[in-house]
Amino acid sequence: MIELINVPSLTTTQDLGRYGYQKFGIPVSGVMDEVSARLANYLVGNHDNAPLIEFVLKGPTIRFRSSAVFAVAGDVDVRLNGIPIKSWQSHWAKRGDVLEIGTLKSGVYGYIAFAGGILCDKILGSCSTYLRAKLGKPLKQGDKLKLGYAILTGKEGRVLPEALIPRYSNESEIRVILGPQLEHFTEKGIETFLSSTYEVTPNSDRMGYRLEGPEIEHSEKGADIITDAIPLGAIQVPANGKPIIMLADRQTTGGYAKIGVVARVDVPKVAQTRAGGKLRFKAITVEEAQELLRKREFLFRNIKRLLDGEVRGYKIKALGEEFMVFVEKEK
Amino acid sequence: MFPQFKPAGDSALVIIFGDRIDEGINKKVHAVANAIEKASPDWLIEVVPTYTSIYVYYDPLRLGYQEVLEAIKPFLSAEPKEEKPRIVEIPTVYGGEFGPDIEFVAQYNGLTIDDVIEIHSKPLYRVYMLGFTPGFAYLGGMDERIATPRLEKPRLKVSAGSVGIAGKQTGIYPIESPGGWRLIGRTPLRLFTPEKDPPTLLQPGDYVKFVPISEEEFWEIYKREWGEQK
Repeated sequence: MIELINVPSLTTTQDLGRYGYQKFGIPVSGVMDEVSARLANYLVGNHDNAPLIEFVLKGPTIRFRSSAVFAVAGDVDVRLNGIPIKSWQSHWAKRGDVLEIGTLKSGVYGYIAFAGGILCDKILGSCSTYLRAKLGKPLKQGDKLKLGYAILTGKEGRVLPEALIPRYSNESEIRVILGPQLEHFTEKGIETFLSSTYEVTPNSDRMGYRLEGPEIEHSEKGADIITDAIPLGAIQVPANGKPIIMLADRQTTGGYAKIGVVARVDVPKVAQTRAGGKLRFKAITVEEAQELLRKREFLFRNIKRLLDGEVRGYKIKALGEEFMVFVEKEK
Repeated sequence: MFPQFKPAGDSALVIIFGDRIDEGINKKVHAVANAIEKASPDWLIEVVPTYTSIYVYYDPLRLGYQEVLEAIKPFLSAEPKEEKPRIVEIPTVYGGEFGPDIEFVAQYNGLTIDDVIEIHSKPLYRVYMLGFTPGFAYLGGMDERIATPRLEKPRLKVSAGSVGIAGKQTGIYPIESPGGWRLIGRTPLRLFTPEKDPPTLLQPGDYVKFVPISEEEFWEIYKREWGEQK
């Protein structure tokens, strides 16, 4: 069990989301950055979907009430009993130890995973917190969270190789699949969208990121559509011509025309961009986006095996590019 | 020219059955969505039927876009079943603190409050789809004589069960939330109960009938539905 000592606002429990209920109007929610969250879970030997703590900019302080293995994902200073330790590594904590997490130096969302995951009473099949409909509660000072059972031996001391640590930039190129309501925009509008730089505004949260930048021109069909569904990463453009990228807590349906949808591999990049950060959009095909996703998942499978000790990983440099090579261990 | 197919990102495919809000089109949408859901192929994450389209959310690691396009074709011939639709009665207190904007709606349309109540509680409203927030039903069939624009400044807090009008639409707030609809009444029924499966009172294809009740009846039903919580 862990006890929360100091809890900045918007700290929640999340997993990879609540699926199967969007047709009832229930948002998927779940972690904002699935890359960081899944890596944190791999570091402590968990599966992808194990519930963990998500924090926004500033991390909580936690007291362990029993032994545990944990890992922190994020560009942040971490201390265990006052002694600096590293994020992107798994550590052993014993009863009474105090974990302090500072403020993210880059990115917006950080994660704390525990071997065995956080135990929660699932709502509609998921531990994800969706505050607007009171599905789950915001974490607060004094909360005690139970951890799932896990064999701790061998789970600590795992290190994510430097080359695999996600880096969050405040200037990113985001790949999108255009549509599905492209006919609601003029050619000029689409050109503006693909050639301009947009800035993330402070009016952004788990529901969506509002962007500031050149106005995207609608066609004679206008900004409103017959209300339809909103996938993750959908880019809505209301009548004011300013795009909104819809994220984890997005409503399931909406009435604004969508100019494109962010490729799933680039959604974490969007989520980790701070207010004031700049985004540029590049159109790719759905096949290209799916190939990028397959490649990422291949890498993820190997990272999990690497951290589980099933393969060795080497960084090699060839033709001026760096690669990670995974080699099977001899039995 | 219908149905049309489009990618909506790399993990969803949209099937579009028409370009206007129409009961026949919407029935076809739900028939096909139900058929896909019932078959529950291993690449399917979930389907979201809307007024005129179905979003098929799939796992692109199992099947690519073109393959999903082929895989859904057999379902497109599914036809709506000719069965008697379910009619859900929504007991509603109109006016007073339960519907503070009813006077404005009446004035705006040159009607009396009783006219508004009669016109609003007369039709059978079709549930075209659910969405926006948990349990929110998009209802069709409101009489345009009571159409009223939204509030210029949305309320920060609207109680669960509030019945409102926004333009030519009427709807019920399933959960407490901010909102800009003109409130004309409130139902004590719970439209969203996360502990239940399905978690929502209304289902697509249902018909809704508002039934005027008194304040006493409201609190009686309220206690049964919500217990002591406010």
